[in-house]
Parts: sequence; C-alpha cells; structure tokens
Amino acid sequence: MITAQQIKDVLETYGNARENLLVILRELENMSGMNYLDKSVLIQVAELMNLPPSAIAGFVEFYTMFRSKPRARHVIRICKSTPCHTMGAISVFDSVKQVLGIQEGEATPDGLFYLERCECLGVCSVAPAMMVNYDLHGLLTHEKIVSILSSYRNNPVADGWGSGEEIDAAQTILPRTGQTIRLLENIGKIDPERIEDYTNSGGYRGIRKALSVSPADVVSVVKDSGLRGRGGAGFPAGLKWSFVVKGDMQKYVICNADEGEPGTFKDRILMEGNPHLLLEGMMICGYATNATIGYIYVRGEYRRSIDRLQMAIEQARASGFLGRRIFGSGFDFDVFIKEGGGAYVCGEETSLINSMEGFRGYPRYKPPFPGQAGFNNNPSTVNNVETLMSVPMIMNRGALWFKEVGTVTCAGTKLFCLSGKLNRTGLVELPMGVTLREIIDVHGKGILEGKAFKFAQIGGSAGGIVGQDMMDTPLDIDTLMRQGATLGSGVILVCDETTCPVDFLLHTMSFFKHESCGQCTPCRIGCAQLEKTTMNLAKRIATVPDLTGLKTLATLMKQTSLCALGQSPIMPIETMLKYFRKDFENHCNPDYKCAACDASLSRFFTGTH
Amino acid sequence: MAIKITLDGREVECERGMTILEVCNKQGIRIPTLCYHPQVSKTGACRLCIVRVNKTMFKTACTEPVVDGMNVISCDDELIFIRKSLLNLLLLEGDHNCLYCEANGNCELQSLCHEYGIEIPPAGDIRNVRTRDVTSSEGLRREENRCILCGRCVKACAEIQMNRVWDFAGRGSHAHLTTHIQDVLGDSECVQCGQCVQLCPTGALSFQTVYGRGLEWELTKKSSICIYCGVGCKIDFSINPQGELVRADGALDGPNKGHLCVKGRFGFDFVQSPKRLKTPLVRKNGELVPTSWDEALNHVADRLKQIKTENGSDSVMAFTSAKCTNEENYLLQKFIRAVIGTNNIDHCARL
Ligand SMILES: Cc1cc2nc3c(=O)[nH]c(=O)nc-3n(C[C@H](O)[C@H](O)[C@H](O)COP(=O)(O)O)c2cc1C
Repeated sequence: MITAQQIKDVLETYGNARENLLVILRELENMSGMNYLDKSVLIQVAELMNLPPSAIAGFVEFYTMFRSKPRARHVIRICKSTPCHTMGAISVFDSVKQVLGIQEGEATPDGLFYLERCECLGVCSVAPAMMVNYDLHGLLTHEKIVSILSSYRNNPVADGWGSGEEIDAAQTILPRTGQTIRLLENIGKIDPERIEDYTNSGGYRGIRKALSVSPADVVSVVKDSGLRGRGGAGFPAGLKWSFVVKGDMQKYVICNADEGEPGTFKDRILMEGNPHLLLEGMMICGYATNATIGYIYVRGEYRRSIDRLQMAIEQARASGFLGRRIFGSGFDFDVFIKEGGGAYVCGEETSLINSMEGFRGYPRYKPPFPGQAGFNNNPSTVNNVETLMSVPMIMNRGALWFKEVGTVTCAGTKLFCLSGKLNRTGLVELPMGVTLREIIDVHGKGILEGKAFKFAQIGGSAGGIVGQDMMDTPLDIDTLMRQGATLGSGVILVCDETTCPVDFLLHTMSFFKHESCGQCTPCRIGCAQLEKTTMNLAKRIATVPDLTGLKTLATLMKQTSLCALGQSPIMPIETMLKYFRKDFENHCNPDYKCAACDASLSRFFTGTH
Repeated sequence: MAIKITLDGREVECERGMTILEVCNKQGIRIPTLCYHPQVSKTGACRLCIVRVNKTMFKTACTEPVVDGMNVISCDDELIFIRKSLLNLLLLEGDHNCLYCEANGNCELQSLCHEYGIEIPPAGDIRNVRTRDVTSSEGLRREENRCILCGRCVKACAEIQMNRVWDFAGRGSHAHLTTHIQDVLGDSECVQCGQCVQLCPTGALSFQTVYGRGLEWELTKKSSICIYCGVGCKIDFSINPQGELVRADGALDGPNKGHLCVKGRFGFDFVQSPKRLKTPLVRKNGELVPTSWDEALNHVADRLKQIKTENGSDSVMAFTSAKCTNEENYLLQKFIRAVIGTNNIDHCARL
C-alpha cells in the first residue's frame, strides 16, 4: 500500500502543478507493485494537488495505462492492431492465455501476471508483439512466449530496458543499399548515449548556422526546402512556423512523439538511435519561432525513448547546448519531456496539448490553432519527430540540397515502416515518390512464403489500402491524396492472399472505436456503430445495404467530426470497398465460410470490450 | 470593426470576432444547437450547428469566427440530412423515451427531433448503460442514460458555480459523466446550486422537487425575487395545477443572470408550509395569540420606549437581516441610531 508520505514525495519530485498529473500517476502506479491506482491514493492526490476528485477520476479513465483496480506485478499487453493481427496476434493471445491459465482482464493467482490487449505498440516490424510492463517483445512464438514469461517470474523489473533485442533501433533499419540515407545516417554508427559521438559526427552545427542568421531567414530556408510535416497531414513546416503569432509572450516548440498510428515505428527508431538530432531540430525551430521552451510529448509506452531523450537533454544542458544563451548567442532554449498514457487521439495536436496540461486528451476546436493559442494558451509549434529531425540537415546543407531528392511538391526522403507479410520488414529511408513495387520487391524482398500480394495499407489505420493497380504509383503526399489514399506517417503494411478484407476492416474499426475520445457526437457514436456493422459482416448477419450504410455513416463522420480521428474511417472503408466489394458482399451471405472472421470472432471479439 | 459576410445569399454586416452562430442569432436565423449555451464557454462537441461555409466546407457555427467575405449557408438539404443523422445517432446512444422522461416538453433534444421530422427511432442497440443515481442527492436526480454528453453541466459547475463537481470520464462510446472517484452524486462536493440541471438540455439531470409533481405543460410560471439575501436574484417559479411551487429557475434578466444558490433553488418549501406564520402573534399569559398589526406595532413601540427610559438607549440592540432589502436595512440602522440613540446595530451578513 502506498503511504501518504510516498505520495507527498512523488509530488515533491515532479511538482504539484496539474501539468504533471500524468507522470505523477504513472509513478504512483508503478510504485503500487500491482500496477494500479487505489481510489484512496487518487483521493489523496486530488487533495494535495488541489484538483477536483472528478477530474482525477475522469483523467484515470481516459488513459488506458491506468487502472483503479489491482492488476498484478506484471501487466502483459498484447498488441491487437492490424500489423500484429496480420502476423498472428490471435495465437499470441491464445498462447499467453494457455501458458498462464488466465483470460483477458484476469491475474494469475500468484499476482505475477495480468493480461490485457492494447493497440499498436510501435514495434510492428517484429510483429506479433507484446509488452510486459515497459519491456517490449516481438517476433513472438509459443516457445518464445513460454521462455519470456518464465524469465519474468523472478524478475520484478520491467522498465523497458529488458526489451528483446529485436526491437533495437539499429537492427530495425533494413540493409542500407538502395536507400537514400539522410535521417538514418548516424543510427547504429553513434552511441546515442554519448553527446560527443553526435558532435563529432557534425552534430549541433545546424543550430550554430541558424543562430548566425535571423529567425526569419531560418523560416525562409525551411520554407524553401519544401519540407512538409511527416506526422500525417503533410502541412508545409516553414509555413506553419511563419504562422506562429509574434509578440513578447512565451512560445513553445512541441515535438509530437506520440506515434500511435498502427504500423508506425519510425519516431521510436529516430529517438532511440539519435536523440540529439531531435534536440537540435527543436532548437532551430525554437529560434525560428522565437520560442524558448520545447516539449517532447512521448507516448508512455516508449520507456527507452524517454530515457534516452532525458539522458540527451541532461548532457546537452551540461555542455551548455541547452539553457541560457546557447552557443554564445542571445538565444535561450531548454527542452522538457512530457509523457503520454496510452491514447492514440493524443497524437492529434490539440489533444496532445490538453494532455500536456494534465487534462483528458480531448481535441480542441480550431481556430484558434496551436500557433495562435497552444500550450497554456500560448503560441506553440507542433511538429512530428521526423519533421524536426529533418531540419538540422536543411540548415547544414541548404534547401536546394534537400530538394534534390523527392518529388516537386514533396521534397526529401521519407521513412517507410514496413510490416506485414514481407520477407523483410523494418525501417527504410527512400525518396518521396518511390513506388510500392520498389518497396516490396527491393526492400521487403517480396511477399512472405512466396504468396500473392493482396493489398497494402498505407499510412496506418487512418490511411487507405492500395491494390495491385497502384504498385507503380509514386508514393508521395499529393499523388496518394488524389487517389483517395494518404501517405500518412509512412506505414506500409503488406497483406497477402490469406488476409480477409472484412476481418482486416473489423480490426481497423475496432481500433477507432477504442481510440475515439468520445467528445463529439459523430465520432463517439459513429465509431461504435461502424464497428458493430463491420462485426455483423464478419458474423455474416449483415445485408448488402449495410455496406452503403457504412459509407454513409463514415461520410457523415468525415463531414462533421471535431478532429481528424473521426474523419478518418471513411478512407479505409472506401478503399476496402473499392477493391474488395465482392468479399464484402460474400460476407452478407449467412452460409459463406470465412475462417479468418471466425477466428477473430471466437477469440478476439467475445463479450464486451 | 465591421465586416461583411454573405448569409443565406444576403449580405450582412457583423463585427470581427463574432461567431457565425452569434451573427445568425442576431439576424433571427435559427441554428440548431445542443452543447452551446450562452452562459458557458464554447464546446463545439455536438456538431449540430454545422453550417456550410464557402460552398464546400462544413463548420460548427458556434465556434467558427466570421471573416470578411465569408459565404455562409445556414440550412440546405444536405445540412438537414447531416443534422438529422446526428440526431439519430444521439437517439441510438441513449434511452430517449419521452413517455417516462422528466424533461418531456422541456427538452432541447426532443424539440430538435420534432423540428427535423424524426419519426421512427433508429434501430440498433449499441449504447452503454450508464449511471442512474436518483436518490443519493437531496436536490438532484441523475439519469445518465438520457445524457448526450454535451458538457453543459460540466461547464455550468466549473464556470458559473466554480465548483468543478462534474467532469467527463471513460472514453469513446464509454464516455460518461462523473462526480467523484467514488462516483456518487450525493457524496460529492456538490452544493446543490442546481445550475447543471438548469442548463441540461435533456432529462439527464432533474430536480427532486418537481419529480412526479407536474408535467412541463401543466406548469405555470411566475416571476419573483428571492427573499434570502440582498442580491435579489430573480426567480422563475413553476407552479403545478394544484397550485404548489415545484421548481425554481434562475431568470436570465435578473442580477443573478440565471444563476441561483441552494437556498434560492430549493428553499421555497416554507412558502406553502402549514407551519408558516401568517399574522402577528403577541404573547399573552405565556401563550402566543394572533393579533392585528396595529396592536402588535403599538406593543413593540411602547415596550421599546419603556426600556429606553428605564435602562437607557444602550440596553437596546437590533439585528437586521440579509433577507431584507438594502433600504430596509438602512432604515433599521437609522431608526436604531436616530430614534433609539444607540450604535447597537448589527447584521447577520450571511444567507
Ligand atoms: C488521431 C490523430 C493522431 C495523430 N497522431 C500523430 C502522431 O502520433 N504523431 C504525429 O506526429 N502526428 C500525429 N497526428 C498529426 C498531428 O495532429 C499533427 O498534424 C502533426 O503532429 C503535425 O506535425 P507535422 O506537421 O510535423 O507532421 C495525429 C493526428 C490525428 C488526428
């Protein structure tokens, strides 16, 4: 049981301002030994932080990492997102249940293990995967699960550093031949825990160069480079920076490292492999937008990224690279980490800001945009990890150099996260406009077990699927958008002939239902309804008009949802129906046989969830 | 600064900083809303007020600021379809059966469903059963299965009463309201000002006082002033066919701007209490007996004079009341100082 003194100590360590609520609760949950927040603890926290108890109750229920009932010493979370599902998450689930003799939501009698399912863990190239407290394990087989679980019987620590080797950053990058290596350059070459390695390889030169010109010049260079956001929406970075309100008020740079889009793991590799590059990118952005404080909002599951970044921040401070008058200039800049608590929607920039402030991750209506009123209502620039990490090289080598690769409207390279039924999965860096054929044949080495390609999901669950006909379409932001798809965060999840489109869509819709924040009407109710209709298809009790119903509802959600989460389901639905309408119609026949749907229904979608 | 927008094909002038909804309200154009309430900050969550902007975009009128040259369509076939669809989704989510709902006849959801011609409730059953807590609080009833999660109660509590009892909990289709870590309304820090009920657009929150004591259309309204303190809050009382006062709503045009405290909201049972004093009473031979105002006042005047002469002015004191008006309070202190001749005057100075 956690004592009142322990709670006070934690509050003392982190500070009792509301913006620290998430990390305070995370710490207390870890300390509980049973991975939960007792109601009496929550009441004390509310009192000590001078917060209404209802706010704490609502907060804890929003973030999936928290629970107010005792779990066990180790919480096992099995990823059920599409990449892991495609690679056999169901058998992982079965295995763990069998080995431990428990069902989902139960603990072993010895109080050692508790079983849950979760959405994407960001290790999709080694799917199927699971997390034991903070340790990530991929490429799971029954034997591996047995040995992993037994290794935790006598090991109380699972802080992320006990993760399997297969999730290591350098190992995740596919062989570099044939790639255009820019961002990934130093990953695996330098020790991410040593600042000297970074500086010796040319690090912190971009910021020095930026400081030698005016902030407006830096914005111009970034504008000229044509760099567009890599978080999903593809908004021009320089333009965003130029929109930040001018004036004397405090301004912020916020790095979006929430990486929740199923199939995405690029930001984790970047942060774990080269954390200083992110700090440098943020410094430059800070200088350009007149912001003196940077925050990195990292999803809570990424323990190792958080630790590496924290180490990098401390080293940079010790070297005088962060703090007052950095690099002898008149510019002050410092960086702090904020943690997420398991909510995909917190990747949406305004939800992210609410979450940073210690609130439920509800998105805000726009305008005002973060550049006008963001964190603490002050102007804030929100950019993705990959976007910010692209900035130092632009400063170093110039806008023209950056544009040498890529397409006319989408300059530079893009990181692609390969997962699914490929012979090789992992991270690759390729010019914008590369084709799916090249990705699959050259880098993925073709489809696993020589099976036939069926479709690829591009851009994650919020993206669409593309079929054989788009093998040679240039993958860039604008071309895909014209085709009714999206590049998104760079997910390439490849599915072979064995994949059932209905089953796949069911997992996608289940993801949205799980991750909708519940604030706005269309998304809250619509996501549940979309899942229900898709489930009826999987159960073969739906009718052909239901297919139109899916589209009509998703279109309504696209037109009316408050944020892009609710606007997203239309794309997977529409693209699926475009390619596989026949499969969907077949599922409207009660006599149709579908082993994939049967498996999901009997082992995954049982009871309420 | 004045700007011009085109609203339903007409050019109208408006101020920069206004929302589309504010402009429409000013122009007498009705836009359906549920989460919007003029007394609290904007939410933009119900999405019903979506209008068409610059031909192709859909924006929520309650949050979208007007800009010069903007072209707004407040209603067309597609917008009607959208609003209808949203209403249907809300009906699908909750238990909206007017037959046994407190708010029947006084429900914004009901009015909009009527206005948008929704006839047969959509089929399907996806809703999550939420809390029904109708006994733990003396003043408030909570039937969350009628809740549309508009958040007006959350904001009413936080922004008007500054008490922050309500908040959202859960997530997605499991989102719901909460009042506390142990989620029981009666055990929360609720001071029963009732503002959340007054702002609730449906029957999710209601008053104990009116429960079973009259349907909305049977109630007549009478405007009155609260007798509890000097603020003089304006109250709209509802009276049922039996002539009983059953509900008090804060009136928007009073100094209270729609708000009431627990006393104004619920402290009106004395009005029709059989125990209420209706005539002055004078104690004769140890018994209180009814008397006339003349006799009572003469008696008080005589005794005060007598006490003053026998024991001096300082043997008298007066304690005046927050239930009186400022003028009455002034008069009593004037009387005590000028007529009795003492400074022994005090005031209860609280409710
Ligand atoms: C539901 C949702 C989830 C998102 N998740 C992420 C994320 O995990 N990481 C990210 O960088 N952007 C995410 N975004 C996009 C952000 O809102 C925002 O566009 C991005 O961080 C801007 O940075 P960029 O311009 O550098 O891409 C998400 C958007 C939505 C609607």
